Amino acid sequence: MFFRMIKGAFTRQWKKMLMIALTIALGASLATAMLNVMMDVGDKVNQELKTYGANINVVPKTSSVVDNLYEVEEGEDANTAYLLESELGNIKTIFWAFNIVDFAPFISTSAELSSGEEVKINGTWFNHHMDLPTGESLDTGIQNLRTWWDVTDGSWLNEQQAGSENSVMVGSVLAERAGIKAGDTINVNAGGKDYSLTVAGIYSSGDDADEQIYGIMDMVQEMADKDGYLSNIEVSAITTPDNELVIKAAKDPGSLTISQYETWYCTAYVSSICYQIQEVITDSVASPVRQVADSEGAILEKTELLMLLITVLSLVGSALGITNLVTASVMERSNEIGLLKAVGARDSAISGLVLTEIVITGIFGAVIGYFAGFGFAQIIGHTVFGSAIEMKPFVIPIVAVLVVIVTLAGSIPAIRMLLRLRPAEVLHGR
Amino acid sequence: MSLLELKNITKRYGNLKALDNVNLKVEQGEWVAIMGPSGSGKSTLMNIIGCMDKPTEGEVLLDGADIAKVSDKELTAIRRDKIGLVFQQFHLVNYLTALENVMVSQYYHSIPDEEEALMALERVGLKDRAKHLPSQLSGGEQQRVCIARALINHPEIILADEPTGNLDEANENIVLDIFRQLHKEGATLVVVTHDPEVGEIAERLIILEHGVIKSETKSSAADDAVIK
Ligand SMILES: Nc1ncnc2c1ncn2[C@@H]1O[C@H](COP(=O)(O)OP(=O)(O)OP(=O)(O)O)[C@@H](O)[C@H]1O
Ligand SMILES: [Mg+2]
Repeated sequence: MFFRMIKGAFTRQWKKMLMIALTIALGASLATAMLNVMMDVGDKVNQELKTYGANINVVPKTSSVVDNLYEVEEGEDANTAYLLESELGNIKTIFWAFNIVDFAPFISTSAELSSGEEVKINGTWFNHHMDLPTGESLDTGIQNLRTWWDVTDGSWLNEQQAGSENSVMVGSVLAERAGIKAGDTINVNAGGKDYSLTVAGIYSSGDDADEQIYGIMDMVQEMADKDGYLSNIEVSAITTPDNELVIKAAKDPGSLTISQYETWYCTAYVSSICYQIQEVITDSVASPVRQVADSEGAILEKTELLMLLITVLSLVGSALGITNLVTASVMERSNEIGLLKAVGARDSAISGLVLTEIVITGIFGAVIGYFAGFGFAQIIGHTVFGSAIEMKPFVIPIVAVLVVIVTLAGSIPAIRMLLRLRPAEVLHGR
Repeated sequence: MSLLELKNITKRYGNLKALDNVNLKVEQGEWVAIMGPSGSGKSTLMNIIGCMDKPTEGEVLLDGADIAKVSDKELTAIRRDKIGLVFQQFHLVNYLTALENVMVSQYYHSIPDEEEALMALERVGLKDRAKHLPSQLSGGEQQRVCIARALINHPEIILADEPTGNLDEANENIVLDIFRQLHKEGATLVVVTHDPEVGEIAERLIILEHGVIKSETKSSAADDAVIK
């Protein structure tokens, strides 16, 4: 009987029920989209923010002091220290290896163009393939780190391509001044030797790099006569925003208690990752490029807060919508409800009937909403982050619980009205 | 002991006395008609007898228990077990068939029994309309479904507020025949009406005016009608 009544209510009131379902679907879809984006946004925002540069710069111990104090030009000081290229792979062996997204080594020297102009030439990785000590392999380099480079002519230097050993990329300002185009061959003299270099591409970076040349590691090491040595490493890592523990650790990791140390070491703070890098690269100083690392965390928190706010507001909105629709539906059925009371239905029985209808409608709406939310999330992912959003399965129970709460909360006024309704008042059509 | 006894019932709506010190006894198996001008308090009285409303003052004894003093929840239970209601506007649930409308009453009373519900419909001559929706039934047929629903749980007292108010003469006669039949079977009937013809066939006719019982007349017409 109960089911016949439910079925009857649906067949007769399907338009109203559909409206309720759609209202719930709207709230559920926004909640689904926002929660999924929120869960996924950590990675996404980090990937976005990597645009602004590496998180961590690793330099040799002595050079870090000298460079920072006197801003000594490379190559001028014979005592400049170097990092060992052979230790590079160690970076991917630290505790937080998985948080290291990209890294690239650098070395630089100066070279003379055929016009006699002196330029800085940097050796680095572009899209370097490396086999790690762990047995895994990795493709990394400045193509990932210098996402803001705009290649205006030609293309990115491809290390995997034959003949790339003598390829270079030239900064746009230098290229314009010297009349260099992609595909040209330029002759330079470095370390007393002549090199004939093919220009793979012209890039615009918006900083000093526009006056420089980038070539692959081995060639520049040879020019600088520093085979196997590096001047610095840039590391891009996903990090956790700093807190008091980090400030304490930053002063001296030794001041932490054992359990604090463990927490710190095992959390992806910039400082703990730096510390771990120093452990695996001999005589190195790894320091966060502070502003960037901090703002990543802050922006991430703000973005998440915003999304949480949108979720809450959309749910409140759909609760209000449900309140209106359910109240209207109960009002329209006041005769029926009065009659059921008159024939002896208890308040609980009638509330149960109405709530069952609403919950069924709610489930229907939630399912539509979930799939619509899936779509929304992908649209947000593609328009805002330029990639798909991974749907997290545990969002489903969260959305389900939220829908139940919102639906029931939205039905409270209608149920109260239903309880107050007196059969005598509706049945004798006064 | 009377089945129903009203003692000094007064019902106030603000300053208005819809019922003013009404005393009334209804015996088991009696057929009582209540008449009076519009606004005289007939429906108010029916609501109180039907356990849908409580008097402002006075006692309502149904089976010896005072329903003026019980909680709303108990009132619902008494209504469910002892009262059968017939309405002027029928009040059928419009998305349920005739049969299901009868079964709704069973459902909230005990358990729905399709067989028994069909028998109730048969009694009012609607067995072949069991699967029809209210919108597919005539006014008279809807009223008969309403009566079948009122009967299904064997109430101690059947209350009908203007049961023939929305019916033409032919249907009115069908409904009155059913009432006669019920009366013959020993049912207790209280019928509110504007129609003197309906009032006269009852055993007892009570005239209400301004919330006060103006007159009470006994008639033997009911018995005659049954015999005829
Ligand atoms: N809920 C209420 N609030 C205020 N006044 C009411 C209420 N119910 C009834 N009344 C008043 O009580 C009086 C009696 O009403 P009642 O409905 O009992 O009349 P009635 O005899 O059934 O009239 P009718 O023949 O038109 O159905 C009327 O004056 C009516 O306006
Ligand atoms: Mg009335």
